[in-house]
Amino acid sequence: MDWNCTLTEEALSDFLDGALAAEERAALASHAAQCEKCAQMVEQVGAMVRGLQSLAPVEEPPHLTANILRATLGAPYGQSVFQRWLGWLGEIGQTRFAMGVATVAASLAIVLHVAGPNLRHVKAADLAPANVVRRADRGVHLSYARAARFVSDLRVVYEIQSRFASQPQPQRSPAPQQPSTPATGEPPGKSSTEPDSGGGGTRGGELAAQFIGW
Amino acid sequence: MEPDAQLVERCLRGDGPAWEELVRRHARRVYNLCYRFTGNSAAAEDLSQEVFLRVYRTLGSYQPAQGAFPTWLARLSRNLLIDHYRRMRRDRLTDSLDDAMPHVEARHSPTPSPEAHTQAVELSEQLQQGLARLSPELREAVILRDLQGLEYNEIQLVLQIPEGTVKSRINRGRIELARVLGEMGVRPA
Repeated sequence: MDWNCTLTEEALSDFLDGALAAEERAALASHAAQCEKCAQMVEQVGAMVRGLQSLAPVEEPPHLTANILRATLGAPYGQSVFQRWLGWLGEIGQTRFAMGVATVAASLAIVLHVAGPNLRHVKAADLAPANVVRRADRGVHLSYARAARFVSDLRVVYEIQSRFASQPQPQRSPAPQQPSTPATGEPPGKSSTEPDSGGGGTRGGELAAQFIGW
Repeated sequence: MEPDAQLVERCLRGDGPAWEELVRRHARRVYNLCYRFTGNSAAAEDLSQEVFLRVYRTLGSYQPAQGAFPTWLARLSRNLLIDHYRRMRRDRLTDSLDDAMPHVEARHSPTPSPEAHTQAVELSEQLQQGLARLSPELREAVILRDLQGLEYNEIQLVLQIPEGTVKSRINRGRIELARVLGEMGVRPA
């Protein structure tokens, strides 16, 4: 079979991959044995292909898989079990977690205070559902009564204060008797209440007595 | 090991761990294809991520009857790589052979001894520099055949070109790469 350099070049990959028919393979080998250029090409390309095929794959960056999983599935994926646990533990350090814990603790404290048994003298009967309900009901009513009384007291105090505030201020030091009020330069409205100013303290005391009695 | 096709089916039913397994199984292969084509680890990382995002969105279009999952994955990767190459060419970064040699970073490959490791890294870098000087058509053909180990019919599916063209490109790519490496003074053992 006639062979030439062009044919060697065209059939080189098939020759190197072992895909060339036996007859052509023999012809190419025979030609290369006499043609230095073809022999060199077969040797060089063959070595390079072996070099490429023996090359170990490069390692991908360690975070590549995790990034892909995070981009597709969301945050929890792409992390090892240990990392997921660490992630969960990390939540504890967050303010919202601390606020949540504080809220739950406060709610529990209020519920226990109102409906819970006396923790210093716990009895088996305290755990009976009927007793728990009765205690809770009593606690709620007592708390309501206390709150109502507190609000009522506040109202009394406020009313006393407002009555005092509506009275003119008593003069701390006896002012010199001024027969003519316009001379003091006070506004007319104020001067109209002047006659009562001396007895302000007495009236306040009367009001207080009235309210305490009430 | 569970076949890829079954994993894909599980993924389509919304099975997260199946997708995780699929990504872990193929991430290195996709990354290598991207890295060998671009010669740049940062670009390869971005492109690999892009490939898997696209796979995630289009997994329903995979037909096991039309070829193995790695072939489908390589085809998808290759399309993104060509898009990337065209974008880069517009930016006049990889087009001309007269450009400065692309910077090829040292990569770590698992090898048994320090000497062998050094030699392997050196050869890897030199081959990478040679690949960067091939046209994209020849480069992708050589990468798919000799670095990814695909058969001719698989490459035909990936590149969507006739088998004769595949053979011709691989052959020309190999000869061209050997010539470039010869000019660089590289003699693979």
